[in-house]
Amino acid sequence: MIRATLAALLLAAPAAAQNRPVIVADSYPVAYFAGRLAGDAAEVRLAVPEGRDPASWRPGLAEIVEIQAADLIVLNGSGLSDWTTRAALPRARTVDTGRGLEGDLIATDTITHSHGAEGSHSHEGVATHTWLDLGLASRQAEALAPALARAVPGADVEGALAALLSDLSALDAAWDGLVDGEPVPVIVSHPRYEYLGAAYGLDVSALDWAAGAVPDADQLAALGALAAETGARVLVWEAEPPDAARAAVAALGLAQAVVPSLAVPPVQGDFAAAMQAGLTDLQAALSDAVR
Amino acid sequence: MIRTALAALLALALAGPAWAHRVNVFASVQDAEAGEEVVVEAKFSTGRIPALGEVVVEDAAGTVLATYPLEDGAARFPLDRAAAAGGLSITVRTDDDHEGYWLLTPADLGEGGS
Repeated sequence: MIRATLAALLLAAPAAAQNRPVIVADSYPVAYFAGRLAGDAAEVRLAVPEGRDPASWRPGLAEIVEIQAADLIVLNGSGLSDWTTRAALPRARTVDTGRGLEGDLIATDTITHSHGAEGSHSHEGVATHTWLDLGLASRQAEALAPALARAVPGADVEGALAALLSDLSALDAAWDGLVDGEPVPVIVSHPRYEYLGAAYGLDVSALDWAAGAVPDADQLAALGALAAETGARVLVWEAEPPDAARAAVAALGLAQAVVPSLAVPPVQGDFAAAMQAGLTDLQAALSDAVR
Repeated sequence: MIRTALAALLALALAGPAWAHRVNVFASVQDAEAGEEVVVEAKFSTGRIPALGEVVVEDAAGTVLATYPLEDGAARFPLDRAAAAGGLSITVRTDDDHEGYWLLTPADLGEGGS
């Protein structure tokens, strides 16, 4: 079953929960934007079940049937959700908020390897977490607005868009103040922060650690080597790590911050609050690193 | 600038068995002389056609209904509308370990819906 995730919005107007247009979003940021633009006039659902990554989730047929029946399907685009290319979505009721960002997408690493009869070959693509550049996030919200206005005629989309863009602009300005001068090297626990780094002066080196796990000795050795190579003094976690993981990284002399990548809902607060909290945590870590 | 080499090595080292590759798959229903057929087409994002593989067909409950050979990026099989009432999940696995799928819902099969 599709999970209704914007609980605060739904709880705010339980009496109006029925007979409202249903909006299904493939990832949390665009669900948040849709919720802000629709207000109480629509029910916004996240397609991906709790705890699943939009990038790797494979829906069942029943889930696709529900998604196909939505009044509006909102996609992040930029290759985030593989499943959106694995079933027929109703074109007239689907909006790709990444359309128009093509010139700003960041190419990801190319990995060349060999297996089977095919021989050596490569995989490449583009980074998917576009919303972590809040300027791109604003453009995604703007791309969503016309389709949402058509699907939810009862919503004050114009006014809500102005308020959302104002909030995103304020956050963008705050993040712009994070780094003054040359890009600062940081290491991130997962390869999700390409747009964040490019937008806000961070020279990002990515690990790909399992979420919630304590890094083993080899991983810590690789982290130490990467820190020495890049000069990074800060490790950014995607989510709050186990205490043992924090202690192990601290033993390497690295400051640490948690900046949620937000493809899924944050543990606390909403998109804007999580971005602000991540900024505050990263500012503190960067300050610790220079002491 | 994202550091590439170490991250790529780590990704490969950590991914393990989950490092299955995907192939683009599309399936549709077409009329044939012997009745309706499901036509499956598979292609890599590079445009290359997988020479060999298999097509696994499951119903809405995840029960495997049949497995067919994939040859030159294509397969076709008769549509059993009773078995496909809840839709069909079609998975292609190529002989070089790439995988992709397509979901045919009842609406896609012309059974009504959206």
